[in-house]
Amino acid sequence: MSQSYNSIKPNVIDDEMLQKAVEERWPEDIGKLAKSEGIDFKDVTELQLSFRNILQIDNLWQFENLTKLQLDNNIIEKIEALESLVHLVWLDLSFNNIEVIEGLDTLVKLQDLSLYNNRISKIEHMDTLQELQIFSIGKNNLTALEDVVYLRRFKKLRTLNLTGNPFCEEEQYVLFVVAHIPDLVYLDFKLVSDTTRELAVSKYHYLIDPLEHEEAQALAQLEEKLAKQKELEYHKTAFVEYLNGSFLFDSLYAEDTEAAKLAYLPGVDDLLQAYRKDFVSVCENLFNYGLKEYEKREAEVSEFYKGLHEALTANQQEGRKIILDFENRNKERLDEIHHATSYNIAESKRAEYNEDILQLSETLMTLEMQTVDQLEELIKDFEKNIAVIASTFIENVKGMMAQCRDLENRHHEKLLEISINTLEKSVKNELDEDLPDDVRELLVDKTTLVNMVNTSHNVHLLKIDMRECDILSNTYRWQASVTGKAFQNEIDRNRNRVKEIFQYIDNLQEQLDSIELLEPPE
Amino acid sequence: MEVLEENDEEEQREEELMKALEISDEPHNIETKLSVDQVFVPSDVSDFDWSSIDISQLPSSYKTNSPREKKLLRIADHYLQQYTHLCPDRKPLFLYPVNECGIKKFVSTTVRPTLLPYTELYHWDGCASFVCDYLTMEPLKSPLIPPSLLYSPTTILKYQRGNCFDFSVLLCSMLIGAGYDAYCVNGYATHDICSLDETLEVCPLLRKPQEVPKEIMKKSNKYRVKSSPDMQSKFELQQEAKKKAETEATHKNEERGEEKVTEVEKPTHDPLYGLRVHAWVLVLSGKREVPEPFFINPFTGNSHSTMDEHFLGIESVWNHKNYWVNMQDCRNGCKDLIFDLGDTVRWEIMLSETDKPLQVLLDAEEENELFDRNMDDTEEEEEDTSFAMPPSWVAPIQISPRGTEVVEVREWFKNREDMLDMRELNKQTQLTTEYFSPGHLLGLKVHIYKSMEPETERVMEFYNEARVDGLQKRAENASEIKEYFVGRDDFKYFQHTEFGKRGKKISVAGARTDINSRPIVQMKECFHRNLEKPADEDVAERVFLITEEMIHLTYHLKDKYITASKKDFFKPTENYRKQSEIMTPEMCITYQAGSSVKDKKLLHLYKLLQELAEEEKQLKQQVRQSEAEVLNILKIRENEEADIKLTVSIYNTERNEKRKQQYEATKNAMEDEFPVHEEQDLDYLAPFLIQIGHPEKMTKGQVLRLRDDCLTDFKNRLIAKANIIQARFEKEVEELKKKNQQFQENQSQLSREEEAVFLADYSETMFCIHIVALRLNREKQTAPQKYLALEEKLRKDPRLAVHLSHA
Repeated sequence: MSQSYNSIKPNVIDDEMLQKAVEERWPEDIGKLAKSEGIDFKDVTELQLSFRNILQIDNLWQFENLTKLQLDNNIIEKIEALESLVHLVWLDLSFNNIEVIEGLDTLVKLQDLSLYNNRISKIEHMDTLQELQIFSIGKNNLTALEDVVYLRRFKKLRTLNLTGNPFCEEEQYVLFVVAHIPDLVYLDFKLVSDTTRELAVSKYHYLIDPLEHEEAQALAQLEEKLAKQKELEYHKTAFVEYLNGSFLFDSLYAEDTEAAKLAYLPGVDDLLQAYRKDFVSVCENLFNYGLKEYEKREAEVSEFYKGLHEALTANQQEGRKIILDFENRNKERLDEIHHATSYNIAESKRAEYNEDILQLSETLMTLEMQTVDQLEELIKDFEKNIAVIASTFIENVKGMMAQCRDLENRHHEKLLEISINTLEKSVKNELDEDLPDDVRELLVDKTTLVNMVNTSHNVHLLKIDMRECDILSNTYRWQASVTGKAFQNEIDRNRNRVKEIFQYIDNLQEQLDSIELLEPPE
Repeated sequence: MEVLEENDEEEQREEELMKALEISDEPHNIETKLSVDQVFVPSDVSDFDWSSIDISQLPSSYKTNSPREKKLLRIADHYLQQYTHLCPDRKPLFLYPVNECGIKKFVSTTVRPTLLPYTELYHWDGCASFVCDYLTMEPLKSPLIPPSLLYSPTTILKYQRGNCFDFSVLLCSMLIGAGYDAYCVNGYATHDICSLDETLEVCPLLRKPQEVPKEIMKKSNKYRVKSSPDMQSKFELQQEAKKKAETEATHKNEERGEEKVTEVEKPTHDPLYGLRVHAWVLVLSGKREVPEPFFINPFTGNSHSTMDEHFLGIESVWNHKNYWVNMQDCRNGCKDLIFDLGDTVRWEIMLSETDKPLQVLLDAEEENELFDRNMDDTEEEEEDTSFAMPPSWVAPIQISPRGTEVVEVREWFKNREDMLDMRELNKQTQLTTEYFSPGHLLGLKVHIYKSMEPETERVMEFYNEARVDGLQKRAENASEIKEYFVGRDDFKYFQHTEFGKRGKKISVAGARTDINSRPIVQMKECFHRNLEKPADEDVAERVFLITEEMIHLTYHLKDKYITASKKDFFKPTENYRKQSEIMTPEMCITYQAGSSVKDKKLLHLYKLLQELAEEEKQLKQQVRQSEAEVLNILKIRENEEADIKLTVSIYNTERNEKRKQQYEATKNAMEDEFPVHEEQDLDYLAPFLIQIGHPEKMTKGQVLRLRDDCLTDFKNRLIAKANIIQARFEKEVEELKKKNQQFQENQSQLSREEEAVFLADYSETMFCIHIVALRLNREKQTAPQKYLALEEKLRKDPRLAVHLSHA
């Protein structure tokens, strides 16, 4: 191989080579047929490009449906241009000059990967290959036995070939590998015996146990995260995310520096606590209402689709019946026309059949028109109901938000009162509490203080408005999308059905016409 | 000529019919005509000739009157005279009509209480429906007077026809037999009742469904498609309705005249209203949990309340024991009648014997016997007052299954090795159905067949869980096989194979593999939807037309589509093969639902065709296998039927032949082995051989000594044994003596218990002595034999034989 590298010109994959490779795979008769009508690379599922001195992988993007690709015994140096072959199950890159594992990320269906006899020194960049069952990376440059730990992530890996790597010289090589990949069945072409496995476990459990613990923890964390995300997703679809708790309240105060300062004023803390409690409870109400409404919306939608489905199934059955009737009636029609004794008879029969076809077309179209009418009415009903649901939801949300605003206003008034009181006290030097300096500074001028309180208030109101706006716009969007989808579906369905009917009728007509050609007019 | 004769016959029949109708005195009544017609049509002769019935076989009681019956008739005569004297304006009573043999019989004796051995006939409704269904109704000769003839219920049953009196007597007999307090009634009823005219009744089939249909409250979806709008013009409809109404009106006017005629026919306008004689059955309360009296119309088997306005009056009632004449006014029908037969003012009793008419019914015979005895004593003294009804002259009523066909024969089996559970033979369809328990060869479950000949009509059902191919049912006849599958991996659920006729004609096409088998004409397979494939690649139906060299594929419906994709392949003929093109567009007609991209590549089609060809080959093979399997099953079944074997539990050692044989074999083996063991175990020589140290070979001297030692030893042993027994014997005897002595001494002082103890002890000791004596005796007899046997054995012993045989 390496000697041929010097003598023979390196190749690049081109169309000609591919054509040849594809043709080689066919038996003679099919080959001819295929050749005559041209090859579509999309249809090829297996491709062998062995022993062709390929230096660089290229031009394979057309083979979208390839499941098996053999590129062994070439002089490939870099794994590349395989991204589009997402259906690949088997990839053979053995006997090449590859140095780094890369470019395999998209091949998520890969089950069998051979990198035998290359120059790879590290197992890496394979995280996405979760389907991997057979992996061969023998005769490479792997030196660090710890690399094997990387293979733990492939839960389906059963066969592994590592022979001929430098680390195989190490005494504990087999036990180490078996211990770290517990489900392995074959290692280096040999069955892993139970005794070996036990030995390995007992020897390396000090390494494996913490590893397993870590993995379990990671998994648990991941699951938790996913669960949380899912919940959040659920809340989001209900348009009430982050309303179960003090998120909104906290966000009111998150960027409000003035409020933080004002909080130091005597009595404000208590006020704030009370305000917070009320506010959160309103939010909580809103949240629960939101979830309830969400369920209601879902129920409405699912009921609609159930009804729609029923109607469509009934319609499908009816249509099917019409067509079956027609087909049964006209089973022998074509033959009769074909074998008619005289042209006149044939002609009359043909006309009769033609009439029948037209009749069928008429019936089907009438049925379709009727269905369209019915469904339109149905969808309009649905639209109306959805509108009602959305508007009640919006109204209620608005009401609750108004409650929030009320709370805020009341709080504002009280805060103002306290501030002014404190100011007066401070002016009279009656203030006995110790206040931070910057707060003290505030208690100088009344207008600044009032301004400050007002700004804080405005910020809060703005936040509440924004949140309300969010919910409302989401609701509107949902309403539009749901009804839009229903209408669009119906339009698509109608178009498809009409197309289908026309096509079917055309087909029948064509058959009839083709028969007529066979019968020469006298 | 034959035709002519037939015509004559028909004419005759018609004439007879006309006569019958004339007799019925109803010349205008079309409906009666019809009903009479209908009643008469099923019988083979339109008018049955009662005079032609065979009376020679009847018992003598039918032909003569016993002295008591004669006396009864005298009493009845007397009663009648009194009655006509008292009520001169009433009609003569129905008392002693003539029976089939021309003998006057009192009506009560014609009632023959019989309980029939059929559960269906235990309740009154069963009896009533039996009577009305089993007998053919004949109208009375004259609707105004009771018949002069009253045949026995047995005769009525035999000929399955009769008038209302015959019906009533039979039904009454059965009801009394079943324990009801039933009476025959001679009275008057409406024309409808008398002539079995049910035209005014609601059809019983329509009357039935009164069950409230269970309304399953399905949660109605609010999104429901409204039915398509009615496009018809309302105005047009109105016009049409108007027109219709008009024509109807004119029609009605035309009909009105006719209607008047029909109205006349209504019962209220019956000129003979209230005069038509009818007989029916009255059931009084008190017995068999009958809450209140009711009538049964024997023609319909329906029950009527005693208030029913169809029953217009009662002349008299009777049961098997007595006869009552109604003295109440019947102007208002039966509405006001009081059915207290003990009330002598309202009901004039004939035989005043019964102080309580509701006497508990005993077995008729027995009772009559009792009465007989009573009669003998009292007859002379109180002639008129306490005369008991003589026993019925009628033979016991029997309903023979004559005339009914055996419809179905069922046989149940158990413990059969071929797992046959039940066999059902339907005599009408000639179908035999065999049911098998799980475990029959090839999972056979049900086998329905007419004959065991192969290729005839049959259905075999299988335990599909037990079969690899999931076959559930295979129906076969001469030209086709239908197979139903369940739970197959390839989703096939139905396969239909049609065969052609065996012959040279088609043999070219189909039957090249096997000349004997039927040529396959068509194979059709149906598949369930495989959800893993897209619908238009998932074949729903595959038809191989072998003779036409065609393959039809129909795919499943895509979602919301109404046309299924189709592919029709025309298999390349040999001519085509030779050409360079193996696949041409003409060979496949495709219809792809919902996609305009018409032509898939020929390559794909070719591949598909190749696959199909392969499948076809396999399918053919499979069909042949199916046929072979059927033959195989038939053969197995035949063998099984020819030699029925029973399974026997493995624990049933007596009946389990196999086990028994096994057991015996092992036992025999054991026995074969056992003697060897004995010899080895009880090696007489062993101790002596040990003494001389097991030499490989022994000299003759040694052998002889060995033998002598052995024999002397054995002799000693025998002697010792005999001595021991002797000693025992002596000891027992001694003891007995002692005890006896003691007893003799103390006998006077001993209590009874002690004496008993002693006696028991004594007998036991005697028994012991007896046994020991026996053993001693036997020992003495057998000892020399044993000795000789040992000597013989030693002589034959292989170790010693060499020397001893020479000796």
